[in-house]
Amino acid sequence: MSAAVLLALAAALASPEWGSPEWAGPEWASPEWEIDLDARLVSSDGQRSVTNGGLGTLRYDDTQSGLRLGRARFALSEAFGQVWSLHVDASAWGDHDKNPVDLTEAYLQFRPYPFAGSYRFRLKTGAFYAPISLENRSAGWESPYTLSYSAVNTWLGQELRTIGAEGQIDWLGTRTGHAFDVALTGGVFGWNDPAGVVIASRGFSLSDRQTTLFGRVGANNSSPLPPMTLFGEIDHRAGFYAGLEGRYYDRVVIRVLHYDNRGDPEAFDAATNNYAWDTHFNSVGVRAESGTGWTAIAQYLDGETAIEPNDGYLNWPFRARFALISKELGHHRLSVRYDSFAVDSESEYGGGPQHGHAWTAAYVFEPSAHWRFTLEWLRVANDNENRPVYVGLPSRATETQVQLAVRFALGPLAR
Amino acid sequence: MKALIPLISCGLLQIPGAWAGSLVVAVQTSSGRPLAGAVVTLHSVAGNDHPGVPVTAVMDQVNRAFVPDLLVIPVGSTVAFPNSDSVSHQIYSFSAAHKFQLPLYRGKPYPPVNFDQAGLVTLGCNIHDSMLAYVLVTDAPYFGRTDATGSWSVEAPQGTYQVSVWQPRMEETLQKEVTIDADRSNLTVRLTRALKPAPLEGRHSWDAY
Repeated sequence: MSAAVLLALAAALASPEWGSPEWAGPEWASPEWEIDLDARLVSSDGQRSVTNGGLGTLRYDDTQSGLRLGRARFALSEAFGQVWSLHVDASAWGDHDKNPVDLTEAYLQFRPYPFAGSYRFRLKTGAFYAPISLENRSAGWESPYTLSYSAVNTWLGQELRTIGAEGQIDWLGTRTGHAFDVALTGGVFGWNDPAGVVIASRGFSLSDRQTTLFGRVGANNSSPLPPMTLFGEIDHRAGFYAGLEGRYYDRVVIRVLHYDNRGDPEAFDAATNNYAWDTHFNSVGVRAESGTGWTAIAQYLDGETAIEPNDGYLNWPFRARFALISKELGHHRLSVRYDSFAVDSESEYGGGPQHGHAWTAAYVFEPSAHWRFTLEWLRVANDNENRPVYVGLPSRATETQVQLAVRFALGPLAR
Repeated sequence: MKALIPLISCGLLQIPGAWAGSLVVAVQTSSGRPLAGAVVTLHSVAGNDHPGVPVTAVMDQVNRAFVPDLLVIPVGSTVAFPNSDSVSHQIYSFSAAHKFQLPLYRGKPYPPVNFDQAGLVTLGCNIHDSMLAYVLVTDAPYFGRTDATGSWSVEAPQGTYQVSVWQPRMEETLQKEVTIDADRSNLTVRLTRALKPAPLEGRHSWDAY
């Protein structure tokens, strides 16, 4: 493309009149923000957590019972003109990560008005979540149903982030008298080569700790298993995903997505001691809501991760699923979720397989936009062959965690 | 006499008994239950009627929802769209009856929007896809919405009228002809299809992803 064409394209994209038939009135935009403070009273009999360098499947282990910081979060949305906006989400998890405060997401969004009545194009560029989870629908990628995310979505929060660009085409059928909306999404990203290392070496867990962009899985002093850096570019090959979302009014959402980080399993980065894990998976999920306060969510994820060190090809097929039922009654919400997950190891030296399941029950009381109280009970039973090898414990474990959370939110974005 | 009709429609004048009649329209769902909030409009079949007197209406934005989410206004009316939320909203319409946009704003920066063409205007917010509202601009001299019992009544000159019934959850507008005479006329309109699901409430804080 010539410079003139590029300039014309840039001018067209920057223009607020993109896709708009008529304009009037003043522009109005100012930063919108939110501060959340989430404190927890925790009782846990869990094994040493992944954050502390163990193979526990809970966020908090038996040394962490008591008063804990669940999350301190600051979010900012700033509009530039009519169709561009910047979104930044910063959090502190209170667990001695590399940086006390760090970003979970930061991206620029281009969101012009619909054109031809019902089509809209969206573009995100920066670092953000791919549209997979049907559970993490609240601000800050939190779940309105439970404190701890399902195994599927805990893993996405730990290992996946789109650091790149995502385009989406929406067909807003419900705006023109149809029963459906459809969205087609495609993402291209880098810096997600280590994705897979947690699932292969630690396995699935159930937590709400999201890995920050410059942080790690595991605290500074974690042992015997050291902290892992997740967002790095090792093989200089871009990954991609493609997804489809269908909505039936605002009642049913179906999402399918194929992800492939196109990792070169032979590539190794000595600085972070990381391979480029070749990870790909298919994900499908459905969420249905009734007019009487019932919500049902199910997600299934099936994939494989592999590396190819000197001594051969190592691969770990994995799959996880959950079903959640929730009932809302005024300001009260009661949810129950069943999780099942498995990591296989098909190679002799690849570390052990893991199989497990979990039950979660949570009660949420949200009397206002500012206050939210949650009581959650979570029990995970799993068999992880890595335990005898790396932490000297029996492979089977059943862990239970009870949390009482109080969250206070402040700011124009707080809802 | 024509000039009086808009005033009559607003209830400002009593209709002389000699040529007035009354009509009660009952709207039922396909399963026979009363349908509240349905819009009923009456056009004279003779085609000699005049639209109602234009009004100034308000559609606010509260908790990331339009309040109310349906306005029925005579053609030529204006609607103010304040935004009482702490976050900015945009409003867009791509409906043939009135295409317009109010760029990102909070508070009341814009003058009311004039709706000078009859038809249904569907409104959305480009930031919050769950926000959806309707402005039905009508050139009918008589119009209103059914109450909790699913009925709406009107006093109108005797004659033959076309009655239209519509509601956002209906797939189509139903039309029937009715004659208003000196006696009280009754018309029952029963929907032929099931209603679309009602929008879920209280979801305004969600779906950031």
